[in-house]
Amino acid sequence: MKKVLKIDNLTTAYFVGSSKERVLHKNISTEIRQGELICILGLNGTGKSTLIRTLLGMQKKASGKVFYDGNSIDEISIKELSRLVSVVLTDKIDDAFLTANELVATARYSFGNMSGKLNNKDLSIIDNALKLTKTEHLKKKVFSQLSDGEKQRILIARAMAQDTPLIMLDEPAAFIDSPGKIGIMEMLKDLSTKENKTILMTTHDIESALRYADIFWILGKNGEFETGTKTEIIKKGLISKFFNSGDVVFNSENSRFEKKN
Amino acid sequence: MEFKGKTPLLFLALSFGVLLLFLLNLWYGSVLISWGDVLLSLTGGETATSNSIIVIQYRLPQAITALSVGAALGLSGLFLQTLFNNPLAGPSVLGISSGASFGVALVVLTGSFAGFDLLMPGLVYGKFIMVAAALIGSFAVLLIIIFVSSRIANIVVVLIIGIMIGYAINAMVGVLQFFSRSMELQAYVLWGLGSFSKTTLSQSLVLSASIGLLAVISFRFPNALNIFLLGKNYARSMGINTKKLQLSVLIISGILISLATAFTGPIAFLGLAIPHIARNLFNTSNHRILLPAVILLGAFVALLCNLVAKLPGYDTSLPINAVTSMIGAPIVIWAIVKRSKIKQN
Repeated sequence: MKKVLKIDNLTTAYFVGSSKERVLHKNISTEIRQGELICILGLNGTGKSTLIRTLLGMQKKASGKVFYDGNSIDEISIKELSRLVSVVLTDKIDDAFLTANELVATARYSFGNMSGKLNNKDLSIIDNALKLTKTEHLKKKVFSQLSDGEKQRILIARAMAQDTPLIMLDEPAAFIDSPGKIGIMEMLKDLSTKENKTILMTTHDIESALRYADIFWILGKNGEFETGTKTEIIKKGLISKFFNSGDVVFNSENSRFEKKN
Repeated sequence: MEFKGKTPLLFLALSFGVLLLFLLNLWYGSVLISWGDVLLSLTGGETATSNSIIVIQYRLPQAITALSVGAALGLSGLFLQTLFNNPLAGPSVLGISSGASFGVALVVLTGSFAGFDLLMPGLVYGKFIMVAAALIGSFAVLLIIIFVSSRIANIVVVLIIGIMIGYAINAMVGVLQFFSRSMELQAYVLWGLGSFSKTTLSQSLVLSASIGLLAVISFRFPNALNIFLLGKNYARSMGINTKKLQLSVLIISGILISLATAFTGPIAFLGLAIPHIARNLFNTSNHRILLPAVILLGAFVALLCNLVAKLPGYDTSLPINAVTSMIGAPIVIWAIVKRSKIKQN
């Protein structure tokens, strides 16, 4: 299957100004194939967001190469990159008038004339994105007045409207109640299987990640990087190794964290 | 999709309002001139010479200046509020109007030391020198801001540096004031109060043409600015070269503010308040609507303020800043309270 993203010997780091502050993960090499749903797991402060931001070129990488669809991120323009990957970030959007529909529509502007109107093709792509995310009823509402779960769906609709093979999401299910969380995960799973989208997301929620994801990337506190399918990582005991906390341990029988007795 | 509902009607009403206020500004003043004589003066028909001089040489340039400066300040205010994602951003925050003030302070307050007296009656170029000084002062600050923003990616840092430059320059103006003669001080203070009546007809035409040109250029940006409402990271992910956009928008707003301030003195609150009125009136943040809206509203409010400032029954008029602040401050308060209510819900 087609490789959507290839990471070659990537080293990520925190930067303050232009001086390298702290190396987070060294020599990550892996690849992502089209239609996969990948969850990046890691405890707080292990650099999940930094990894996503580095892959997107929003943050400098310490070394290594990142290829989108065979194109090195160092050699393609911001505009070319915007055709290959779209994002759902944790950045706050608090404009008091921007409607959900207008927010989703921003994804289509760079496809046409920046001062012009959207054409019928753009409009039907927007409508389709709203339909796929089940948010058609929200489109006239002001985005900043929506609930967290609704906001997240609209942001995913925006990413869908950008029509890229790969979508990267930073904590799309955080701060959402359990039914909403499951709803978001089901939707992302559908987008990967039915729409053939490739989804790369970070999450705190290991149990629901294990339910839905095809591939896992695990980031350790000391710069470790592990990857594999659910069966592979459980077999290798990686979940227990990285996430067991005191009495609370991972039970590989039912893929849940439980109190040791 | 976007020009539905009451939007076209609002635009129509606003355009009509601007036209009406423009004509009222030509008609109304300390000297009573009938509508017929106003029309005759404009068309070059037979009317008393004094009427024609008052209308053509005083009221017309004043109305053209108010109209174009209002539009310029509204436009730059909108640009800066979107760029900095801050409802309190406005023409004064970049230190550009302080730069203009410094230029004027320098030539007015130190004139007697340098051997030329700008206040000397009959000095033909006095006005021109003040405009030139204000332009040079504001462009100097604009260059500093552009230099800073081309080096520093964080736009908030640019904002803070702009505000700091403003403070530093105001302090220097304070020192100049301390050492100046009372007459010069008065002239400078008067300039600082702002007025739409400092321009000659030809100056007002040059001013409106330049502002018109910049307004046309600004119509290239509405979609990029809409994307910018989502923040810099999203904008970048949608293929926007954020650094280039920031720079273009800064340069356009900077030139608009420089031109406006040079010809009228610093005008308070218009640039800050107009975008808020536009958003609330049209109930949108869409720049495809807001760009024409702030231009019309800016012209409308500036012409209205100018009319209010011409006190009925007096020969003189109120300083325009007193009027714009009295009208502008409550509007900004209302808009910001409304904004915070929306967020809580």
